[in-house]
Amino acid sequence: MAPANSNRALYALWGLFWLLMIVVAVEDERQNHFIAWWEPLVWEGSSCIVATFWLALQRRVSKRWDEHLDHPRRWFGKHLAWLPLIILGFVSAAYGMRHAVYALVGRTYQHAPWGSVFVYESVKLLLFTSLWVCIIFGFASFARWQQERERLLALQKHLAESQLAQLKAQLQPHFLFNSLNTISALMQVDVPRADRLLTRLADLLRSSLQAGARQMTSLREELQLLELYAQIMEERFAGRVTLSWNIADDALEAAVPTMLLQPVLENAFKHGVERSRVPVSIRIDAIQRDDLLHVTIHNSGATLAAAHGSGIGLRNCRERLDLIYGKRASLDLVQDGDGVAARLTLPRSPE
Amino acid sequence: MIRVLIVDDEPPARDKLRRWLARHSDIALVGEADDGLATAAAIARLKPDAVFLDIQMPGLSGLEVAAQLEPADAPLLVFVTAFDEHAIKAFDLNAIDYLLKPYDEDRLQKTLARLRERQGIEPGTAAVRSARSQTGPSDRLLVPQGEELQLIDTAAIHWLEADDNYVHVHTAQARFIVRRTLADLLAQLGAERFVRIHKSIAVNIAEIKTLSPLFKGDHEVTLRSGAVLRLSRRYKQELFALMGG
Repeated sequence: MAPANSNRALYALWGLFWLLMIVVAVEDERQNHFIAWWEPLVWEGSSCIVATFWLALQRRVSKRWDEHLDHPRRWFGKHLAWLPLIILGFVSAAYGMRHAVYALVGRTYQHAPWGSVFVYESVKLLLFTSLWVCIIFGFASFARWQQERERLLALQKHLAESQLAQLKAQLQPHFLFNSLNTISALMQVDVPRADRLLTRLADLLRSSLQAGARQMTSLREELQLLELYAQIMEERFAGRVTLSWNIADDALEAAVPTMLLQPVLENAFKHGVERSRVPVSIRIDAIQRDDLLHVTIHNSGATLAAAHGSGIGLRNCRERLDLIYGKRASLDLVQDGDGVAARLTLPRSPE
Repeated sequence: MIRVLIVDDEPPARDKLRRWLARHSDIALVGEADDGLATAAAIARLKPDAVFLDIQMPGLSGLEVAAQLEPADAPLLVFVTAFDEHAIKAFDLNAIDYLLKPYDEDRLQKTLARLRERQGIEPGTAAVRSARSQTGPSDRLLVPQGEELQLIDTAAIHWLEADDNYVHVHTAQARFIVRRTLADLLAQLGAERFVRIHKSIAVNIAEIKTLSPLFKGDHEVTLRSGAVLRLSRRYKQELFALMGG
C-alpha cells in the first residue's frame, strides 16, 4: 500500500516538473520569431519522453537496490554508475526523435557539433539525474520508514495483546480446589446449600472464562462477579469474615478491565482473613468523581507488611493497568486505620 | 486405636474429615487446629499418632510445621492440599501420603489403610525430612514459653546447649528449653548458620567474637554477648576452617 502510494506521488511530481519545463521553454521562445511554436515542444517533449522512459526503467530496476537504503553512499553509487549509459541513451534517443520530427515537417534540426552536444548534455544530465536520484532516495526512504513504523506498531500491538492475554486475571487453582472441597463437605450436611454454592462457583467460572474474550466490562458486571467470589469465600471462612458493599449508583456503568477487582479482593482475603485469628471485616467502596472511578477494598485487622502487595495477583493487576491506561490509572496499598486498603483509580476511557 | 489430629484453616474442610473419620471405630479424633502455631502446640500436647495436615495455612504452613518436628518421634503425617504442585512432586510417595482436595471417601479409606499398616512401626520421619528439604533451613524456631509455643528468629539464637534429651536455646533475652536432640536441631536450622564447638554445644557463627588459645591446644570461644565457651579439640579443625584460619 505505502510503496504504491509513494510511486504515484513520485510520478505526479515528475509530471509537474516536466509541465513546468515545457511551459518555461514555450514561454521563453514565444517572443522569438525565428522559432515556431511547436519547436520547444519537440525539444522538451522528446527529453520528457526519454527521461520518463528512464524513470520507468529506474522504478523497475532500483527496487532491488532498496536493501542499500541504509547505506546511502552505496545506494547512490549503484544509481550513478549508470550515468554514462543514461547520457548515451538520452542523447541518441532524444536527438534522434528531434531529427525525425524536423525531417517529417521538411526541416533540419540544427544544433551544436556532436562533441559539444555530448559535453553540454553530460553536464545537464549529471545535474538532472543527481537531483532526481536524490528525490527518489527521499521517496524510497520515506516508504521504507513508513513500512518499518507500521511493522513496529503492529509488533507493539501484538506484544501488548499477548501480554494482556497472559496477565488476564485467572481464578487461582487453590481457590478452585478449596471451593470444590467446601462444596464436597457441605454436601454431607446441607444439600441445598451445597447446590447453591456449586451454582455460584459455576457462574464465577463461566464469567472468568468469558472474561478471556472481553477486555473491558462495566463496574456493575464486575461487581456481580466479585459478589460471587465473596459469597464462596464467606462460606469457606464461615464466621471469620463479614463483607459490606458501598457502591455509588453513578459509578455502576463505569468501564473497568474485566476480572481486575477479583485478585484485589483475593489479596484482602489472603492477607486479612486467612492470616487473622479474629473475625475480619472487608468493605468495598466505589465512587465516581471528576471523571475518575475510585474503588477501595479495605480489610480490617492487618498491618501492611512488606510481603503484602508483592503477590503475583496485584503485580498482574498493575501491569494490566499500565498496558491499558498508561500512567493514568493507579493501584496502591495503604495502611488505613485498623487495616489495609487497596485503592484503585481508573480514568473514564482507556485512550 | 489411631489417635488423629485434624488441621485445616477452613471449617467446612475440617467438618468433612471429622464426619468421615467418625465412621471408623479404630480412629479416635483427639483434636483440631486451624493454624500452624496451634498445630504445633496440639502435636506437643496431645501426641497424636497421625495428623491430617493442610499445607496452606496462616502463619506457619503445614510444611513449616512439619519441618519443626523431631523426625524420630514425629506423628505420621498425611498432607492435605488443594493445589500444591511443587510439594506433591517432591514427596517420596512410598513414604508419604497426601490427600488432594476434594477427595472422596474411597480415597480417604486408602489413606487410613496405610496409616493402620504403619502405626507403631515407623514414625513420620520421612515426612519431616521431606518437608525440611522443601522449606530449607528454618528461619524461625518453635520454642515453648510456659504453656504456649512461640516462634523466635533463628538469627536471634546465640548458642545451643544439649542437656540429656533437651536443648537449651540461648538468645539475648531468654533461654528456652526444647525437647529435641542437638543433632536434629542443627539439621533443621542449617549448617550455614550454626557450628558445633563441643559435643554438646553449637554456636551461631555470626555471634562469634574472638577465639583465644588456652593451655595444651584448647581454645576459648567468646561470643558477642560475652558468653565464654570451650572449644573442644575434636571440633577445632572444623571451626578453624570455617573462620578462615
